[in-house]
Amino acid sequence: MKENLGLYDPQFEHDACGIGFVANIRGNKSHNHISDALTILENMEHRGACGCETNTGDGAGIFIQIPHEFFFDECVKLGVHLPSFGKYAVGVLFFPKDIKLREECRDIFNRAAEKLGLEIITYRNVPVNTHDIGPTALSVEPMMEQVFIACPDYIINPMDFERKLFVLRKYASHTIENTVRKDEIGFYIASLSYKTVVYKGQLTSSQVRNYFPDLNNKRVVSAFGLVHSRFATNTFPSWRLAQPFRYIAHNGEINTLQGNLNWLKASENGFLSTFFSKEEMEMLLPVINGVQSDSACLDNMIELLTLTGRSLPHVMMMLIPEAWDGDDRMDPVKKAFYEYHASMMEPWDGPASISFTDGKIIGATLDRNGLRPSRYCVTTDGRVIMASETGALPIDPALVLENGRLQPGKMFVVDMEQGRIISDDELKSTICSQKPYGDWLNKYKIRLEELPEPRVMYTHLETDQVFKYQKVFGYTTEDLDELIAPMALEGKEPIGSMGTDVPLAVLSDEPQHLSSYFKQLFAQVTNPPIDPIRERLVMSLASFVGNNGNLLEEDPLSCHTVALRHPVLSNFELEKIRSIDTGVFQAKTLQMYFRADGKPDSLKKALDRLCRYAVDAAEDGFEVLILTDRSIDSDHAPIPSLLATAAVHHHLIRKGLRGSVGLVVESGSVWEVHHFACLLGYGATAINPYMALSSIRDMKLSGRIQTDLEVEQLKKNYTKAVNDGLLKVFSKMGISTLQSYQGAQIFEILGLNQSVVDRYFTGSISRIEGLGLDEIAKETLAKHAFAFPKKQIPVDRLPVGGLYQWKRKGEFHLFNPQTIHLLQYSTRMNDYTSFKKYSKLVNDQGERACTLRSLFQFKTQRTSISINEVEPAEAIWKRFATGAMSFGSISHEAHSTLAIAMNRIGGKSNTGEGGEDEFRYETMENGDSMRSSIKQVASARFGVTSNYLTQADELQIKMAQGAKPGEGGQLPGHKVDDWIGKVRYATPGVGLISPPPHHDIYSIEDLAQLIFDLKNANRAARINVKLVSKAGVGTIAAGVTKAKADVVLIAGFDGGTGASPVSSIKHAGLPWELGLAEAHQTLVKNKLRSRVILQTDGQLKTGKDIAIATLLGAEEWGVATAALVTEGCIMMRKCHLNTCPVGVATQDKQLRERFTGDADHVVNLFKFLTEELREIMAQLGFRTINEMVGQVDCLEMREGIDHWKYSKLDLSPVLYKEPASQNTVVYNNEQQDHELENVLDWKLLEVAQPALESQKKVSASFAIKSINRTTGTILSNEISKKYQSAGLPDDTIHFKFTGTAGQSFGAFNTKGVTLELEGDANDYFGKGLSGAKLIVYPSSKSNFVPEENIIIGNVAFYGATSGESYIRGKAGERFAVRNSGATAVVEGVGDHGCEYMTGGRVVVLGATGRNFAAGMSGGIAYVYDVKGEFPLQCNTEMVDLDPVSESDKEELFKMISDHFKHTQSTVAKFVMEDFDNQLKNFIKIFPKDYKKVLQKQSEKVKNEVKK
Amino acid sequence: MGKQTGFLEFTRELPSKRLPKQRVGDYKEFTERYSDEKLNQQSSRCMDCGIPFCHNGCPLGNVIPEFNDAVYKKNWKEAYDILSSTNNFPEFTGRICPAPCETACVLGINQPAIAIEEIEKHIIEIAFDKGFVQAEKQIMRTGKKVAVIGSGPAGLAAAAQLNLVGHSVTVFERDDMPGGLLRYGIPDFKLEKWVIDRRIKLMEEEGIVFKCNTNVGEDVSMSNLLREYQAVVMAGGSTIPRNLDIPGRELKGVYFAMQFLKQQNKRVSGSPIAEEEIMATDKNVIVIGGGDTGSDCVGTSNRHKAKSVTQFELLPKPPVQRNEVMPWPSFPMLLKTTSSHEEGCDRKWAVSTKEFIGDEKGHLKAVIMVDLEWKIVDNKPAQFVEVKGSERKIPCDLAFLAMGFNHPQHEGMIVDLEIELDERGNVRATEKNYQSNIARVFTAGDMRRGQSLVVWAIKEGRDCAQKVDEFLMGQSLLETADRNSIARYL
Repeated sequence: MKENLGLYDPQFEHDACGIGFVANIRGNKSHNHISDALTILENMEHRGACGCETNTGDGAGIFIQIPHEFFFDECVKLGVHLPSFGKYAVGVLFFPKDIKLREECRDIFNRAAEKLGLEIITYRNVPVNTHDIGPTALSVEPMMEQVFIACPDYIINPMDFERKLFVLRKYASHTIENTVRKDEIGFYIASLSYKTVVYKGQLTSSQVRNYFPDLNNKRVVSAFGLVHSRFATNTFPSWRLAQPFRYIAHNGEINTLQGNLNWLKASENGFLSTFFSKEEMEMLLPVINGVQSDSACLDNMIELLTLTGRSLPHVMMMLIPEAWDGDDRMDPVKKAFYEYHASMMEPWDGPASISFTDGKIIGATLDRNGLRPSRYCVTTDGRVIMASETGALPIDPALVLENGRLQPGKMFVVDMEQGRIISDDELKSTICSQKPYGDWLNKYKIRLEELPEPRVMYTHLETDQVFKYQKVFGYTTEDLDELIAPMALEGKEPIGSMGTDVPLAVLSDEPQHLSSYFKQLFAQVTNPPIDPIRERLVMSLASFVGNNGNLLEEDPLSCHTVALRHPVLSNFELEKIRSIDTGVFQAKTLQMYFRADGKPDSLKKALDRLCRYAVDAAEDGFEVLILTDRSIDSDHAPIPSLLATAAVHHHLIRKGLRGSVGLVVESGSVWEVHHFACLLGYGATAINPYMALSSIRDMKLSGRIQTDLEVEQLKKNYTKAVNDGLLKVFSKMGISTLQSYQGAQIFEILGLNQSVVDRYFTGSISRIEGLGLDEIAKETLAKHAFAFPKKQIPVDRLPVGGLYQWKRKGEFHLFNPQTIHLLQYSTRMNDYTSFKKYSKLVNDQGERACTLRSLFQFKTQRTSISINEVEPAEAIWKRFATGAMSFGSISHEAHSTLAIAMNRIGGKSNTGEGGEDEFRYETMENGDSMRSSIKQVASARFGVTSNYLTQADELQIKMAQGAKPGEGGQLPGHKVDDWIGKVRYATPGVGLISPPPHHDIYSIEDLAQLIFDLKNANRAARINVKLVSKAGVGTIAAGVTKAKADVVLIAGFDGGTGASPVSSIKHAGLPWELGLAEAHQTLVKNKLRSRVILQTDGQLKTGKDIAIATLLGAEEWGVATAALVTEGCIMMRKCHLNTCPVGVATQDKQLRERFTGDADHVVNLFKFLTEELREIMAQLGFRTINEMVGQVDCLEMREGIDHWKYSKLDLSPVLYKEPASQNTVVYNNEQQDHELENVLDWKLLEVAQPALESQKKVSASFAIKSINRTTGTILSNEISKKYQSAGLPDDTIHFKFTGTAGQSFGAFNTKGVTLELEGDANDYFGKGLSGAKLIVYPSSKSNFVPEENIIIGNVAFYGATSGESYIRGKAGERFAVRNSGATAVVEGVGDHGCEYMTGGRVVVLGATGRNFAAGMSGGIAYVYDVKGEFPLQCNTEMVDLDPVSESDKEELFKMISDHFKHTQSTVAKFVMEDFDNQLKNFIKIFPKDYKKVLQKQSEKVKNEVKK
Repeated sequence: MGKQTGFLEFTRELPSKRLPKQRVGDYKEFTERYSDEKLNQQSSRCMDCGIPFCHNGCPLGNVIPEFNDAVYKKNWKEAYDILSSTNNFPEFTGRICPAPCETACVLGINQPAIAIEEIEKHIIEIAFDKGFVQAEKQIMRTGKKVAVIGSGPAGLAAAAQLNLVGHSVTVFERDDMPGGLLRYGIPDFKLEKWVIDRRIKLMEEEGIVFKCNTNVGEDVSMSNLLREYQAVVMAGGSTIPRNLDIPGRELKGVYFAMQFLKQQNKRVSGSPIAEEEIMATDKNVIVIGGGDTGSDCVGTSNRHKAKSVTQFELLPKPPVQRNEVMPWPSFPMLLKTTSSHEEGCDRKWAVSTKEFIGDEKGHLKAVIMVDLEWKIVDNKPAQFVEVKGSERKIPCDLAFLAMGFNHPQHEGMIVDLEIELDERGNVRATEKNYQSNIARVFTAGDMRRGQSLVVWAIKEGRDCAQKVDEFLMGQSLLETADRNSIARYL
């Protein structure tokens, strides 16, 4: 029984956070460290969140050394004397409040201690002060006690004591978990150690200090204080989820958790350690028990690996390795270390900034992507201060020795025993040379290319067989022509457009591929997707086939596995593996077939047999299992390879044998990228797609593929396309490596029943039931019978498919010739009767269900009312929006027609991500307006200026898009004409890339920051956050609401007009029905619903669709495709080719002339939709939309559904009505409190009045702190309101600041503003800079060398369009990312500098990090490269490295001299004085595209001069 | 798709035709073939639409973008395989179909549509040239026997499909040669009869038996058929022409179009003509009815070298282009200038024939006609009134009534078996099962549907065959226009 009736599931919870520590390098203890650490916590309040009550936090805490003197004294009060330090341990226990339960737990704990020979000295109540702690938190506040345990005399080594404590903790926790009745508090051990102790709870960051009086006691001293503040996506009270844990505080997200847990479980059986007896090991297991957060799991893993003998930094390197695969410059010793460990275990992948300590060392590490800020400062008085933000603990600049930041993949350790900081290099070289990892690899690693020729060889199938097998596995002509052939020809996955409108797999009448029931999950908000193309260096497809070995020991044989460069095996490679025989390493082939007799349970029997054989083979010592479906015949059908693989994978996990074998799948049912992804996600290590390969060969030989390329090349291309596609799938979820993706089950299952899921896809998310094994068998048997017919088939051809295009004999589509015709006809003729015919065709899916909503019908338990009593149409129109389609993706004509129509009815049109031409802000002669009310802010920030933001009624942050959630986009240069170039602030002819993530949103607190920025940029505009429906979107919506969004849009996966890889259109994301219902339920549950407007879109086509959306919880709706069709779109699905024959999705002049859309027609569409909606409202008895929102009890499953497939669906979780108390409103009726009242800008604005009013020059000085965020943005908004994009004359306003600036300093600051900062700044410096000048230099009191220290944080000048900046010192990662026009001088940058830059100028007077200029298509950068290292750091895929030419000299000199003028930079001075000589050290980074365009332009000018 | 920008580079071009002056001298087809290059260009215009409306426009569900692509790639076998998967007789539809596919063509929204029909004809003719079209000899026989009555397009399609799945099919035809309307209704200059012969020969090779000169209901009774055959498909067409019951109808020189056309077709094939010959030579001919049959009368009259040819149409002259009441992709009523019109004809719109005037011998000499005014009142279908004073007499020696057909012939098999008719006089059966009220008696084509196009007849024949097969075997693997066969296994 599911505990929860709705769609919410606690496993979807996410958190992100602020972390920090203060440590004394020499290990000197002081109370100040604790007090300072708490100050850090308090200054990062904005990185945490609070829920419906401002005084209920998401969790915060502190981790310190054991204050021996203090505890001694406290225990004296309890009448006991503690032994000396090290001879006892302190545990922090969370007990249930209920006394009976509490004593039961205590009893078990005591007995466990006794069993282990540990003596309990005493218990101490932890004093707490509950004043001003929110009632929600208090309702589940545990009884917190400290337990003191003596170290037995026979234990000499304190670490052995620590291990005993570990066993005690695990054993006691397991036993209590398994035997004591659970209440909502439960029993939990926060820490149990002789060295360290944790104080934490469900508190806000500022509550920690007061809640724990201990922490204010001066006798509580420690050499460090490590703090953590949590921002969770929801507020279900839980004290135990607060951090720090026992070894770490984690800011980030483990995306691959499910896989990591499975792999851990798979290998637990083989755990052996010299540090624990067999009995103790049994008491320890399972390592990770029950449901807990990803961070908690990671902490458990770290603890295990540390206590079994590895050092803490060693463990961190294992779990969160650097990107070693493919890095040719990495030291071979280090690379060998990583590779050896990779053959044993997969990375725990996801964004992670981790601070860790074992009480003796304290350190921090950042994952390979470096997506979480970590700034540190070393002081002259021997302290290290490390935090997510600089300035969180204000330090006298005179005391600063060094300002630094943690770099991606790097580690930083303070050894308090040795009294020094150990650098990443030193630390890692020590660890990597502990053992001869390289020698082990040389000796034992099996390289595929070095394996001998196979013993036997399967040959290719010939035409007749190919045809038969294609039929058995369900190939369609569409699969061959539209998927496989393009992959073989182009080497990449084909692109499609206009979303999908075919039935969900579970509703389809065509036999489905099993993987169609699996929807890919993707990252949004809580963690960022990755760009697998431009940031290829962090990605890896390497994997290892074979026995993983015992994780707890370092055994050379652990790397005796087959190393693969990528998971797609050719036939030849597969045969090599099949023939392998090294004496201890052999492969076993198992057959995936079942009796095609159609009897119930045939498939189940076959699966049981297969699992049994797999166990036998594993126990018999085979290291590789090859699952094959080659041997099928008229009586035996193939088991869907996904089902067989997952079944074997999970069966072996349950038997504890999975770790000892590699799974290779040889299957004919694998051809799309998604098929590969599913197999890998459910445990396959490598895949041989023999039918796809045979089909390619056959198509080439038969002339179906016409090309000069040879068959082998075509197969290589196909393999490359699959591999690139896989990288895209992983990166969508923010996963970097194949190893971590394997078995991670990053899918939601839509349409399989729970028993199938539990048994074969154990642990996967599946919420609406569906097919059982026999139904799965039925679909397979249909294809099998087609291939092996009992009688002659008259027309023996493959089915047409018809998923990506409508085909008469193919899959059903909601938009088909009839519906398109009727929609266009009715709106053109203003004929509501015809429209009703259209909507009837769309709604009546009685015979062929297409959408989940088609399974619903209205239930009228209320009294119907007259339609005249329903609120008027005009009141409803304002709730409509059209979709976010950019000018560029659709034509100006199509775009502005929608805008005019929406403005006429008071609805909202959306700019999309392409900016907006300013002429559209003017009212037209006839009173119409082409201005789009909604301005989108997407990852590329095209045209996002202060003025653009100011011109909005709503600002929409696009976190994901339905057609391709988790992916970026690309507008090829030939489509960027003069007009689009101008609107997007780009050079015409130069290609534009939209990155997959927003580079200022890597986590929920970042989103809160962007919302804050945008609210500063336009206080009158609503902030809308667009999410795509997926499992867990409800908790994300809750988090987004807590991040102060005014509107949350839940988009369906099926909508989306943009171009995207075909596998993304179909296989990523969920229908909005699920996402919307989950969001509404979760928001109501969290008492957050009234704070936010819920909007939904995704193939909304009729009034009924809108009524259902409203009942499921949406009060506003977006309509895109239907509006486009009304304008003339005929679903050509060629948007990406620029050949739209009706002028909608094209920029071709000739084709644009063929556009015939009219705003009147679009208005008619919305009139009709509203009319239909009102009719339904009257029928259901709702007078207003507000009354109707979320009244899901007016919906029920349609009667008489007896379809063999979907009659078994259970949609009750969608139709679940989350109870809300009487006076709780379940629609939006409150304003978010954006907390703008404390912004520094109000002071700036006061001083700037003369400038605003009459352009008089003003200047002033201000102190600034890290809590002062988004400085100058309100000021700029006021300027834009009055002066539009022109702004004020340069330097009209000159403000000087002293101190550490908070995030987003100077964001969206416009022309005429100059901000000068003495001190340093945090992330997002100059975000979206729109013409202002920013200057920053270190405090005059500081003594360090500016150019060697970091002064501004990550992601500076993201999306800047104009302006200039001078930075004396180094910047963090992603400096000037997506810069399209600003000029900046800086003295060093981190990784990924100038990424995706399309315009502007950047001068770097110092070193850069890796991957400089990735995706840079425009603008120019100059790098001062004295050491000659730059060329290796630069990604030269799109740029040339040129010497500085004569014509550049002047520009470069001016920038450097301006830099000197503003900052007094010594580097600048040196270069200027020796300019001609230093020029040779400058490299000009010149994008190839841009160069070509400039050359063309200059030729054109020359020619004109000649004429 | 062959070429992304083909539709922007090339416009619609039809193959050249022999000049009217030349072609009226004989009864041969006059449309020539495309050059290879032209064919390639024309096929490259196809846009491979996301929603190929042409699929929907074509009653057969011809898989048009796919065959266009195969033609573009010169993949002739594939093109033939695709085409023949939905259409048994592309050589007929490629010549005489009004091509609803082309009206539905997406390019037709703002440009001339793809020349789908011509491409279809080229595919099948090239397939014949290259020898792809071969009789299927290896058919597993089911042992079931089916009688098909009528060898027009519906009967032929049903017979071909039923034979393909192994039933033994006998086709009964009351005329001397199989083909029905194709053979005797459509003039040779539009469809030469060797085209039919070629197909009939293939069907015979595949095992279908044709019994000509056998009129079911007269020569053999329905009940006998039902004794011998497990199923009977009635595909006798809609043969009773609509009459014009005005004074003078009985005059010599007033004929139904079909009398005239059939006779001429027999004449061209060299078959004996029993009845009195109808010749238009040197006569003033008036064709009453503006449809395709009327056109055929015009073309035939011109070939007879008539003195004058005039065509009457009740409706006003339709527009040349689509207007808002007949938007794409609906089938528009547009002014259609057929090849016969090109050969010379005076077309009169919105006129009605009041009376035939004869001479003393009872020979037609003139007609009295009147102009009509069409009015729309209260949103009801348009009504006409005669324009006062517009009555006039024009000379006429020969008048052909080409005003369509009412329903199938009732006497004979329908009456004998008491087969239920619908309100229009057609055999009552739905598209769900094509079954009449009498068990084992199916019906397809105009006999069920009422007068329609050849392409609809073929579609009905195919769909009916699928139902008959299903009836006989419990399950059928024959595809229909809307459903593939793999889903039938579910």
